[in-house]
Amino acid sequence: MSNIAGKAYAMNVITPIRWYTVWLNKVIFWAALKNPSTLKGLITLSLIHYARWVIIGRNQFPHVHPSQPKEDLKYAYMLFFSNFNGSWDQYVDSFTFAIPSGLDMFWKWNIRYPKSVALTPFHKYIRYNQLDTLHYYNAYPLATSNDVKSARIVKAKLLDFDGATRESSDGEFAREYRKLLRDLQHDLGDMYPTPIVSMSAYQVERRQRWHDGQLDGSKH
Amino acid sequence: MTQQLDLLDIQGNVLRAYGRFRYPAARYVFFNIRDGARGRDFVAALTRRVTTAVQWGEGPDKLPAPEWTLNVAFAYQGLKELDLPRESLIGFSPEFVAGMKDRRDILGDDGPSAPEHWDPIWQRNRETREHDVHVFVSINGLMPLPKDAEPAAIHAAVLEAQVRVEAGYRWLQDQLAACQGGVVQLGGHRGDDGDLLDYQDVKAVLDNGVPTSKEHFGYTDGIGDPVFEGVPYDADRINGRGKQLDNGQWAPLAAGEFLLGHTDEALEYPPAPSPLLLSRNGTYMIYRKLHENVGTFEKYLDEHGERYQGGKELLAAKFVGRWRDNGAPIVKAWDAASKARFDAELAALEKAHDSHGADQLLSNFTYDEDMSGGRCPFSAHIRRINPRASLELTRDEQPPAKVCGGFSVSKGAFDTPGALSNRRRILRRGLPYGEVKDRSRDDGNHGIVIMMLNADINRQFEFVQQQWINYGNDFKAGNDKEILLGNHSQSEHFPSKAVLQVDPNSDEAPYILPRLPRFVETRGGDYFFVPSLTALRMIAAGTVDPT
Ligand code: HEM
Repeated sequence: MSNIAGKAYAMNVITPIRWYTVWLNKVIFWAALKNPSTLKGLITLSLIHYARWVIIGRNQFPHVHPSQPKEDLKYAYMLFFSNFNGSWDQYVDSFTFAIPSGLDMFWKWNIRYPKSVALTPFHKYIRYNQLDTLHYYNAYPLATSNDVKSARIVKAKLLDFDGATRESSDGEFAREYRKLLRDLQHDLGDMYPTPIVSMSAYQVERRQRWHDGQLDGSKH
Repeated sequence: MTQQLDLLDIQGNVLRAYGRFRYPAARYVFFNIRDGARGRDFVAALTRRVTTAVQWGEGPDKLPAPEWTLNVAFAYQGLKELDLPRESLIGFSPEFVAGMKDRRDILGDDGPSAPEHWDPIWQRNRETREHDVHVFVSINGLMPLPKDAEPAAIHAAVLEAQVRVEAGYRWLQDQLAACQGGVVQLGGHRGDDGDLLDYQDVKAVLDNGVPTSKEHFGYTDGIGDPVFEGVPYDADRINGRGKQLDNGQWAPLAAGEFLLGHTDEALEYPPAPSPLLLSRNGTYMIYRKLHENVGTFEKYLDEHGERYQGGKELLAAKFVGRWRDNGAPIVKAWDAASKARFDAELAALEKAHDSHGADQLLSNFTYDEDMSGGRCPFSAHIRRINPRASLELTRDEQPPAKVCGGFSVSKGAFDTPGALSNRRRILRRGLPYGEVKDRSRDDGNHGIVIMMLNADINRQFEFVQQQWINYGNDFKAGNDKEILLGNHSQSEHFPSKAVLQVDPNSDEAPYILPRLPRFVETRGGDYFFVPSLTALRMIAAGTVDPT
């Protein structure tokens, strides 16, 4: 099991919500999508690859085979699914530091939601309702969401630059080159492996590498 | 400030950077407890002499500043040897229990910073019981007022401060002798020419015998330090040191960011061991001995200072975010003209003996006008370590090509502008050690002993060290590290670099610092707990009881 793949962490949190207040949450989601400024905080945090909130009704849980027992659910559920960069602590902390009122708005109607400040009850709520990831594949383990955005910008700018300077004089070329570097001055970060997310995750990784024969005997 | 802290219960080094209060020299001494009962007697003797945070001066609630200060802290093993109950011990934070050596992979202490290069005392620590560092004691010496303003008189006063440190140390030796072997002093601190000493001496860098606020690379240090609720002698230092508010004003940080048993920025009490009397008014301290590779620094700065358009001194300022000569923040003094204006203003304030005005000129600034880093680069020391409100940022787009290399404040994105930095602040204590005898060499005995205090080692110090110094994602810099402290790559094939941004509306190109060498290397340290006076008395009496 691991919630971590390279620089990304996968978080699934599923929290109960009274079926008769579901519509309220749907209105909140709808309003948030209509009004992008509600998501400004999240976007500014810039450590999220992908995030989604979904409401799963009492009768909407998948029933894949006739032999699967039918559950009788008392509550509807809100699934929060997010792939982000950094450690669990870093992410949850950044959330509560930066956008506590936004979090409270999304989770307000969820059962026993403690509010995002103070921190410890909120941590406990998320941990308690989190489902660990059983399998996690990451095609670009060295890339954070910032790196992906930067890579796309670098590529587009380079192609533009190449096209625009084919015929340039030396002076024009130099000026355009300076502009290229200036435009990309926040997109040139190196991409190396992630810092250790936690000592326990690091030890798991080292044990795996030892079993794969990549570490010598003394270092597991 | 609304809160009043109990100054008589808090150790003096928590609230005061002694260097700023005319204590230019200090000695740090470490002990191993061999016998719990005698160890507690030792703690009792020290406690009677511990310097509190009480206000100094004339007046009813004030005391004269002591000729030498004394402060005490414990490593986890030490608390165990002093027989704290297990129920209390398990309440300490996991990283404090594990210690700095165990956390080296989080801290990036690899290559030349790895424990095998640490001073013997730190190499041997946490390997065998007999060599574990249990107790930390610091003694700072007060400089008497010099007879006149001549360098000779000032130098005599500095020497007197050192004599006072020696006096404190002799007193300490007497207490140690009284323990009859129940407590042992641990040696193994590297000094000049590879000598091994029984203590770590530190002192201000002297210029012609006069103490300066310089460190060995030549930077002016000791300006920025967080200000929090209830510290009386910091009441007029909030602007630029507290937390930035929406309306452009500043407020002191919550006391619980730096003291256990007080509410923190998340409106709760930081995790702490019980009983409350053991933890309240105490805090955690990170002791780190950092060697400065002066030769490498000079060589790199010379080489790139010649190529860099703004010249060598501006380049040096870009590494840190402040100018070397007077500490001018580069966001206020970003080129020759603005630096000249700053210098004139500072000189005028100093001439008028307006020390508050001068302090504010140096410390009261934000990055709001420099969100793209054209003045202070994103990888500069102080921008990485205390980004203030600058992480609330959004990318500028310019038609027609859209993307450009600029950022602006993402106003209102976060509930408070400093949301991402207010809980990552650390108090800084300590002084330089050693002397630079040859500026072309790395291998002399010179560096900084830095002591950092915070309520949560993991959330504050370790986070800054790992995420902001040795990694750059929060600064849109990928894996690029902080220039001065980063554990830059030793690899030929994957060298470290940093980007010095320029004004996006200028015609310049960013300067890229290639093949960054390691300017700073770790030589040891550990995590300590600095108890309150109440807790010290309870530890000494053996009466800690969480029931
Ligand atoms: C040899 C190592 C180091 C050197 C030469 C050094 C030098 C400096 C200098 C010149 C300044 C600017 C002056 C000032 O604002 O006071 C500064 C500020 C600062 N340094 Fe360091 N430093 C070192 C290590 C560290 C470490 C390891 C940390 C913590 C992880 C740290 C934390 C800080 C903080 C918090 C500030 C104030 C930033 C602000 O509030 O704006 N320093 N340092």
